Amino acid sequence: MSYGLLAPEIILTIVGLVIILLGLLITDKSKNMIGYFGAAGLVVALGYVLKTMTAEGSFFYNALVIDPLSQIFKLIFLIVSLMVVIASISYFKDNRNQDEYYALILLSTVGMMVVASANDLVALFVGFELASMSTYVLAGFEKKNPASLEAALKYFIIGSLSSALMLFGMSLVYGVTGSTNIPVIIEFFKTNPMMATNSLDIIAMIFLVAGFGFKMALVPFHMWAPDTYEGSPSVVSSLLAAGSKKMGFVAAFRVLVLALVAIRIDIQMTFAILAVITMTYGNIVAISQRSIKRMLAYSSIAQAGYISLAFVVMTQMSVAGGVLLALGHALMKGGAFIAVALVGYMVLSDNRNAKNLDDIGNFAGLGKRAPITAFSLLVFFLALAGIPPSAGFIGKFVLFYSITIEAVAQASNWLLLVVIIAILNSALSIYYYARVIRYMYVLPPNGEKIKEPTPYVVAILLAVIGTIGIGIYPEPFIQMAMNAASVLGV
Amino acid sequence: MSLYTYLLISAIIFAIGAYGIITQRSGIKILMCIELLLNSANLNLVAFSSFNGNATGQVFAIFSIAIAAAEAAIGFAILVALFRVRDTINLDNINILRW
Repeated sequence: MSYGLLAPEIILTIVGLVIILLGLLITDKSKNMIGYFGAAGLVVALGYVLKTMTAEGSFFYNALVIDPLSQIFKLIFLIVSLMVVIASISYFKDNRNQDEYYALILLSTVGMMVVASANDLVALFVGFELASMSTYVLAGFEKKNPASLEAALKYFIIGSLSSALMLFGMSLVYGVTGSTNIPVIIEFFKTNPMMATNSLDIIAMIFLVAGFGFKMALVPFHMWAPDTYEGSPSVVSSLLAAGSKKMGFVAAFRVLVLALVAIRIDIQMTFAILAVITMTYGNIVAISQRSIKRMLAYSSIAQAGYISLAFVVMTQMSVAGGVLLALGHALMKGGAFIAVALVGYMVLSDNRNAKNLDDIGNFAGLGKRAPITAFSLLVFFLALAGIPPSAGFIGKFVLFYSITIEAVAQASNWLLLVVIIAILNSALSIYYYARVIRYMYVLPPNGEKIKEPTPYVVAILLAVIGTIGIGIYPEPFIQMAMNAASVLGV
Repeated sequence: MSLYTYLLISAIIFAIGAYGIITQRSGIKILMCIELLLNSANLNLVAFSSFNGNATGQVFAIFSIAIAAAEAAIGFAILVALFRVRDTINLDNINILRW
C-alpha cells in the first residue's frame, strides 16, 4: 500500500528532525536561514494538502483516515503554522536557540494533523500529546522572561490535567465497547442500544467533554487561556489561539459527534448552555482589558463559544458553519496576534527596556506609525466582530442560519433564544474592538513612523487576504466545509 | 479480584490525584498528582483489557506510559527554568499574570 496521502506529515517530520540536526552543525549566525527552510517545508506540505482536498484513504489498520474533514483542518493548521514561521523569522532573529523553536513548531503541526486524521482513540491521544507537549515548551521559550515561564507552567498543569481526563474517558469508552477504533465503537452502540444508556458511558462522556473543553477553552475550562496567551511570545500565542485550539474542535467533532451519536443524552442542552456561557463570559470580560493580548484571548474564548454552537444542533449545515468559523477564526486571530507582535517590536525599537508591550496605550496613533499593521488589525477586528465581507461574517452567518432553521423545524423557542443571544454577543464585541480602532486611528501617535519588517508584513497580509478572500468569494469554502461535514454522517 | 475492584481502586487513585492538584502548592507535588491521574487511567485500561479479552488496552497503556514519561520530563524542565529565574516553584508566588 502507498503512504502518498500522508506525505504532508512525513515531509514535516523529516524537515523538523533535519532542522534539529542542522542546528547542531551550523554557527549561531547562520541560524537565521533555518526559518526559511521550515517555511519551505510547510509550503510543500500545504501544496500537497491543497492538491488532495477531496482524497480518501485509510492507513495503519484504519487508525488514520484521510477525508474532506481531515483535509480542511490540515489546511487550517498548515496556514497558521506557515504564518507563524514566517513572522518568527523576524521575531526570533539572532536568537541562538531558534533551530529548536522551528523544529517544535513543525512537530506540533504534525501532532495537530495526526489529530485531524485520527480514526482511533490511540492515534488521537498520541497526536494530541505531541501537539500539546511541543506547545508547552514553545509557551516558555523566552526562558529569561518570568511571564513566559509562568504562562508555560500554567499551560502545562492545565494541559496535562486535560489529557489525563481525556485518557480516563477513553479508557471507559474502551471498557464499554472493547475497541478503540471509532467506527467500531459506533457500530457497537448501534447493535447494542442497551449499552448506550450505561452509566459508564455518561461518565466517559463527561470526562471527554472536559478533556476537549480545556483545549477549546470553553468556560468553565478556560482559566489557563488568558494567562498563557498573554505571557507567551506573541507568535506562539498566535499558534496556540489559531492552531492548537482548532485541534480541540476537530477532536470533538470526530469523537463526540461520531462515537456518541448513539447515546444522544441531552448533549444538545449541555452544549447550548456551555456555548452561551462561554461567549457571554468571554465578551464581557474582554471589555475591561488593557492588555491587547489578554483582550484577544478573551475574544477567542467568545469565538470558541460561537463555534461550539455547531455541537448543539449537529446538522450537516451547522457542522459546516462551525468548520468555516474555525477556518476564519484561525486566519483572523492568528493574524491579529502577529500584528500585536509587530507592535511589540515597534515599542522595543523606541525603548529597549519597555515593559507591557501589548498595552493599549502603545496602539495610539498606530495608523500613522505603522499603516499596514493598523489597517490589517482593523480588518481582523471587524472580521472578528462579524462584519461583511469577511470570513468571520460567512462563518457566523452559516452557523446561525443553520440553527435558526433547526429551531423553526423543531418549533423550539430556546434554540431561537440561543441564536438571539449569540447575535447580541456579536454586537457587544464590537464595543471593545472599536475601542482599539479608536486608539489606532483617532489618538495622536507617540513616536515616529517605523519601517515594518518584511517577514511580519508577509505573514499579516497572508491572513488579510485569506480573511477578505473568503468573505468575497465564499462558495468554494462553503462547499469544502459541507463536504467535510458530510463525512460525519449527521 | 473482580473488575469492579480494579475500577474502584483506579477511581480512588484518580480522586487522590485530582484532590492533590487542587490543594498542593508545590510544583513537584503537582507533577506527582498528574502522574497519579495518568496511571489511574492506565490501570483502567489494563483491567478492561483483561476483562474484554483483547490486547488493545494494554497497547494503549504502553503508549500512555511512554507519553507520561515525556510529559514529566517537560514539566521538570519548565520548573527548573522557572526556578532559575524566580528562585521558587511555589505556585502561590507565581502570580505575575492575572486580571
